[in-house]
Amino acid sequence: MSSERYSFSLTTFSPSGKLVQIEYALAAVAAGAPSVGIKATNGVVIATENKFKSILADEHSIHKVEKVTNHIGMIYSGMGPDYRVLVKRARRAAQQYQLMYGTEIPTGQLVQRLAAVMQEYTQSGGVRPFGVSLLVCGWDHGRPRLFQCDPSGAYFAWKATAMGKNFINGRTFLEKRYGDTMELDDAVHTAVLTLKESFEGQMNENNIEIGIVNESGFRRLSPAEVKDYLANIV
Amino acid sequence: MAKNCNFLVIFQCKHQSIVLQLAQYTLRKSPVPDCNRCSCFVRNAALESSGMALPKAVKTGTTICGIVFKDGVILGADTRATDGSTVASLNCQKIHYLAPNMYCCGAGTAADTEQTTKLISSNLELHSLNTGRQAPLSTALKMLAQMLFKYQGHISAALVLGGVDRLGPHIYSVHPHGSVDRLPYVTMGSGSLAAMAVFESRYRPNMELEEGKKLVRDAIAAGIFNDLGSGTNVDLCVITKDGAQMLRPYDVANVKGARQERYRFKRGTTAVLKTRLRKFDVQEEEVVSMDTSEASGSA
Repeated sequence: MSSERYSFSLTTFSPSGKLVQIEYALAAVAAGAPSVGIKATNGVVIATENKFKSILADEHSIHKVEKVTNHIGMIYSGMGPDYRVLVKRARRAAQQYQLMYGTEIPTGQLVQRLAAVMQEYTQSGGVRPFGVSLLVCGWDHGRPRLFQCDPSGAYFAWKATAMGKNFINGRTFLEKRYGDTMELDDAVHTAVLTLKESFEGQMNENNIEIGIVNESGFRRLSPAEVKDYLANIV
Repeated sequence: MAKNCNFLVIFQCKHQSIVLQLAQYTLRKSPVPDCNRCSCFVRNAALESSGMALPKAVKTGTTICGIVFKDGVILGADTRATDGSTVASLNCQKIHYLAPNMYCCGAGTAADTEQTTKLISSNLELHSLNTGRQAPLSTALKMLAQMLFKYQGHISAALVLGGVDRLGPHIYSVHPHGSVDRLPYVTMGSGSLAAMAVFESRYRPNMELEEGKKLVRDAIAAGIFNDLGSGTNVDLCVITKDGAQMLRPYDVANVKGARQERYRFKRGTTAVLKTRLRKFDVQEEEVVSMDTSEASGSA
C-alpha cells in the first residue's frame, strides 16, 4: 500500500487548514461524468453517463454500474481505475462480513468500511487519495439506502443526489423534483431526466447505465429496459 | 538454526481405523512454532511416551451420494450427526449451498464440511462478481481440492460436489487429502458402501427425474438402515440448468414414536409430612414521583 520510498504522507495540511490533495481529488470528481442516485419508497436507482470517445469503442463490455452483493450496488464519478480498486475492496469486505457474522452486510456497514479505506489513503505514506466519489445503494431488509463516499473518507446518506459534472444543477433539479412518496419507476424516470440536464448530445441506451435495487436485489438494467425508459421522456 | 521436532501425524483412511506414522518436521527459525498444530503434536508425543493411550478417531457418520441423470444431477444425504455413539443432531443439513447452480454434500467432521463449503462459497461469489460470469464447477472443485490438500488431510471433509454449468451436469467426489474423482455416480461417508451397492445394481445413464430421485433415495435409505453412523431423513437436491431445488426432507424415513401414556407423577406420590402456615405483614409502599425539571426561583 505505501511506497517503499515514502514513509510520510503526501497529503499534508495547508496553512489555512485544508488538505489540498483532497480538494484536488474533489475537483477530479467534479470533472468526471455525471451520476445520479434517487431513493424511492420501494427501491433505489443509480444512473450514470457512460460515453465513449470513439465509435470504435466496444460498448457494454465495461460497466460503470457494479454489483457488490445481491442487495448492494454502486457507481462513481471521477477516475475509473480508482473505482475498480474500490469495487474489489467492497466485494471482499461484503464477503468477509458474511463469513464472520453469518448475515448479509448492511449497506451502512459496507459504506463505513469503504470510507475507512478511502480515508486510509489520505493519511498513509506514498499514496494519493482516490479520485472518485461513490454512490452506494442498497436494500436492507425492506429499507432502501443511498450513500455517497467522498475522497476524504466522508460519507453521507442521501434521499437524492447528483455528482460529477454540473452536480450543482443536478442537485437543484432534484430538490424541485424529489418527493418522499416517489416509487421506483418514477425515480428512474427522474434520474434519467436529471442526467439529461447535463448531457451533451443524444442520450440513448448505449451511453447511459442504470442500476436499481429493490426487494428482489440489485441489478443493472439491460439496454432494452433503458431504451423503454428513454422512450417515455423523448 | 533450525529446530527439529518429531511429530505424530495421524492419517485417517476412509474405511480403516487410525494409521500412525512418525514424521520428521523441520521448523523455521522462530521462537513460536509456525502452525498451531505443531505444539499439539509435541504434546501428543509427550503424552504417548509417558504411557497415555491415544484416543481412537471417531468414524465419520453419514451417507452422501450424487448421480448424473438426464437433465442434471441429484444429490442425496442422510441427516444424522453423531458425537461418538450419541446422535448429536437428528436433522442436520448435509447438503451445502455453494452457488445458485452448485451444491456440495459433506461427510466427516461437521464443522470442517460446514466451514470449508462456506469459505469456498464466499470465494466463488467474489470470483463470479469480479469476472461477471457464473463460475464452472471445475473452479469450485479446484478451490475445494487445493484447500484440502493444503491442510494435508487434517481437515476431515469428504465431499460430493454436484451441479450444472455451461459445460453440462457434473458430479465430483473430493477426499479429505485433496484427491478428486469425476464420475457418473459417487457415494461418501460411513454408509457409502451400502449406498454404492444400490447404485452399482440399479444405476443407468440418462435416467428420468423421478427414477433418479427414487434411486438416490433408496441409496441413502440403504445407508440409513444399515449403517449406525447414518440415520433419520433423506434430503435431496435436484440441480438442472434451470436452477436448483432443495427437497428437505425428501423422505421422512424414521418418524419418532409418540408417547403412549402420560408419564407424570400423580398428586400424592410424594407424601406430605407437615404443613405450617406463616403470616407475613406486607406493607404497601407507594412511590410518588416529584417533578424536579422546572427551574425554581427567579430567572
